[in-house]
Amino acid sequence: MTSVLKGNFQAAKSVEAKDKPEADDLDSRFEREAMKKLGGSIAYVAKKKIKWAEDENP
Amino acid sequence: MSAGADSIGLQLVAKMGELTWDRHGPMAIANAERNLAFKNMGKSLAALRKEKLGEGDTAIVIAAGPSLKRQDPAKTLLERGYKGAVVTTESALLYCLRQGLVPDLTVTLDPHATRIVRWFGDPHLSEAALKADDYFSRQDMDRAFADEMAANREILALLDKYGPQIRIALSTSASDAVVNRVLESGMQVFWWNPMFDDPDDAASVTSKLQAMNRFPCVNAGGNVGSAAWMIAGEALSKAKVALTGVDFSYYAETPYRNTQYYKEAVDLVGEANLDQVYIRLHNPHLDAWFYTDPAYMWYRESFLEMARDADFQTFNCTGGGILFGEPINFCPLDDFLRNYA
Repeated sequence: MTSVLKGNFQAAKSVEAKDKPEADDLDSRFEREAMKKLGGSIAYVAKKKIKWAEDENP
Repeated sequence: MSAGADSIGLQLVAKMGELTWDRHGPMAIANAERNLAFKNMGKSLAALRKEKLGEGDTAIVIAAGPSLKRQDPAKTLLERGYKGAVVTTESALLYCLRQGLVPDLTVTLDPHATRIVRWFGDPHLSEAALKADDYFSRQDMDRAFADEMAANREILALLDKYGPQIRIALSTSASDAVVNRVLESGMQVFWWNPMFDDPDDAASVTSKLQAMNRFPCVNAGGNVGSAAWMIAGEALSKAKVALTGVDFSYYAETPYRNTQYYKEAVDLVGEANLDQVYIRLHNPHLDAWFYTDPAYMWYRESFLEMARDADFQTFNCTGGGILFGEPINFCPLDDFLRNYA
């Protein structure tokens, strides 16, 4: 689109086209917000059990 | 399992680690920083390794899944005179105390600012707060919570009475409301950090947390039930740990509305598409179907991984739910007690 639309004047400021329309950003942000509410209580870390502090190792 | 590999539910399971961080990570860290001020109001979880909790080499974990009210494990333990260690989630505390069972240890983990304190009795609970959040009244859980104000008064009184007898493995991620209530009720505090990432990486969030407070870091497996199991096996050094109330799912006939994440699932996909979020599993030990949501499915998968790495044996005596598969021994609680306790 930007390649075919040309103005017949020089803009005072150059305007950069955004990669994605703002609506898409909003959609994905809302989706992310909705999805995170489905998250669990806390993390799971694979292959780990308990790490004792150095001064309390069994 | 009844869900296509491309179902929304299974896609969410794959993202659950990052979604959980987004939901609770920063809150949990902030709570841990604030709780540093209370460090000397308790001991480290490491101190429990020197205490004898229960006789013998077994422990029973009691969590508050939907099977709890159907199976009534506390009644069985009392009738059988079980002498081993009883470790409960905070959500099963009211159930246990009502049954006359004072656990050897209770565990709390979730950093939520207002909900978790309800398991301990919320001194500031109001009708207005209940109207704003139907989390407890909507779910298929302990019937005692049907009248929430009455249940709150009851748990407040029970904890004021039994608090000093109860040890609590208190996660540094707990909210100020929970910490205040725990301290106020005189519970014996044993602090621990939940793992957030690789504790062996010096630059990790977990390592920095441990450097700050010197408490042990526990892989909680995403939820308090799994944390209770890990603590029973690894901190209390019990060789055989049996689970009750660890369903990680709902009975097939439970309406979606009565599940924990119902409102959030509706917000994401709409009421008409909920079948895409929930995942159905057949339990071959019971020849029965159950269904679950992405978070609980993630808990299940994580638990199975942890159980495979564990140095102790796991018995699932829940009598329902979706936690089955190698290396878990799925059996009735009576059988476990007869053979090992």
